[in-house]
Amino acid sequence: MIKLTYENRRQLGYRFMMAPALLLMAAFIVFPAFYAFSLSLTDDALLGFAAQESSFVGLRNFSRLFGDPLFWNSLKVTLIFVIGSAVIGQFVLGFLSALALQRPVRYKPIFNAIICLPNAVPEMVVGFLWISMFASGEYGTLNRFVAWFGVDPQQWLYTFPLLSIIIVNTWRGIAFAMILLTSGLAAIPKDIYEAARVDGATDTQVFWRITVPMMMPTIFLYMFISTVTTFAIFGLVYTLSRGGPANSTEILGIYIYNQSFTAFQLGYGAAVAVVSLVVSMILGIIYVKALKVEV
Amino acid sequence: MVAVVRSSSEDVTVTHHASQRRAYLTLVLISLFCMMPFFWVVLAAFDPKASQFLQIPQGVTLDHFKNIFANESGMRWVLNSVVIVGSATILTLIFAGFGGYALSRTQAWWKRPLLYGIILVRIVPPPALIVPVYKVMLFLNDWINGLINQFTADVEQQQMLSRMFSFIDGYLGLILIHCAMQLPLAIWIMKTFFDAIPKDYEEAAALDGASQWQTVRHVLIPLALPGFAAAGLFAFINAWGDFLMPLMFTSSPELQTLPLGMFRAFLRVDAIDYGFLTALAVIYTLPAVIAFAFARKFLTQTFSGGVKG
Repeated sequence: MIKLTYENRRQLGYRFMMAPALLLMAAFIVFPAFYAFSLSLTDDALLGFAAQESSFVGLRNFSRLFGDPLFWNSLKVTLIFVIGSAVIGQFVLGFLSALALQRPVRYKPIFNAIICLPNAVPEMVVGFLWISMFASGEYGTLNRFVAWFGVDPQQWLYTFPLLSIIIVNTWRGIAFAMILLTSGLAAIPKDIYEAARVDGATDTQVFWRITVPMMMPTIFLYMFISTVTTFAIFGLVYTLSRGGPANSTEILGIYIYNQSFTAFQLGYGAAVAVVSLVVSMILGIIYVKALKVEV
Repeated sequence: MVAVVRSSSEDVTVTHHASQRRAYLTLVLISLFCMMPFFWVVLAAFDPKASQFLQIPQGVTLDHFKNIFANESGMRWVLNSVVIVGSATILTLIFAGFGGYALSRTQAWWKRPLLYGIILVRIVPPPALIVPVYKVMLFLNDWINGLINQFTADVEQQQMLSRMFSFIDGYLGLILIHCAMQLPLAIWIMKTFFDAIPKDYEEAAALDGASQWQTVRHVLIPLALPGFAAAGLFAFINAWGDFLMPLMFTSSPELQTLPLGMFRAFLRVDAIDYGFLTALAVIYTLPAVIAFAFARKFLTQTFSGGVKG
């Protein structure tokens, strides 16, 4: 009898302990995520008549959305941004550094620290640093660098806007890929490599026949996390270009912000947000299922 | 033809040297790429004639740093950031400590749904939430300001309380939204660390006559300290570097934090004080870098989010 009440009291205690965190996440993340769906069915606005009294418009926002070239442009830009920086840029450079750091090189901690540095910098400072790097005119840092190769000064953020933000995000995320892939490399048993060497396998063969297959789970995990985090980027691109010039760097997050708070169309902005939520939830469910996440 | 007569052991050392050189070359090139943007900010922060361009300073000066602390807005941005992010981090640690412990110890039906829920919540992209969160904040803001107006009729007091407790353009709102955004990861980390502490320790303490509070203070918290460190560091780094929430919910200059203050100062194209801004960027970046250096060893644990094997 006493045991039962003690157990009950403990169970009640767990619920109380959970409550504050749950309340905050519910109020500021879960409820808003669902609320986005209902807002996307209204003509809610930040200014004007609809701001006082928004009305239900059914799927009108969505039909407008799918006919809006700016929305498709934003999706395309997001896709190129994610593939260019997370799937290719960060992954290739991160994998190369992880492989190089596997070897008995000297000054390992120094290389490690330098590669990690960009990852620790706040988004706003990243934008600030790279605006100086990309500065136009012959004194811009990048322009002086390419001048060694005989390239004329460029207006990087105007001529190659999308490439520029891909370079910046690649720069920022090498560390993340390197750290995750290093932990994957460390988990490969060393005797497999020795056995392959004894059998006379070359470096290239070892890499493609042993390292890559053994790394597949880690690579998959990396691809998932980096896709999701890159999909959610806002500040990094906003401080660099605010989506411009002419929407060329308007990734989904910035498109939502611009539609909602620059064009004041909250209902329409919410419809874009719904698309973005659905995409990330699909990714999340695939992840939980495919990796058989144990909780 | 030399290669043919070379013994196989020499062959191995040759390829060894070659791949060793390749490793150094890779690391040096990638490191240069990583370091390049920092040269400007570090040099310009001490350069009396700082500009937008990378240049060798004519002299070394600490004036830009002194300026930050003499200049009212610079000091205010730093303090606001410290207060808001600091409070959000502490709040996150308290709530995540309780939540993580409960999630680790309970066997109730809500355990698994909640853990899967937290993974999904971590995947929600913050920019997708801005419109509905803005609405929620607006609602809470009206409510709290109604309360404040009931509480006191003194306009000056109303303004002061409104600054503290408003959800839009007030400290409380920013602290709570940062806290909410950092909670999923923090709870996850705390849960993982509590999982590693055997329940026996608590039971042993209880058998020895320790009260619940004594058990928490002398057994649980000391054992979970690395977990608190990891959770706190990540909450701090993420909230400190966040740009979106301050952009959404601050407008008055008194509430400006570092990211937004710097961003707006930088937008005044005609009058950018590069010395001031680069020095500020250094000050803004240092705490994040130091925290990251400590947090690095915990990093791989946070990626997996419960993936085993």
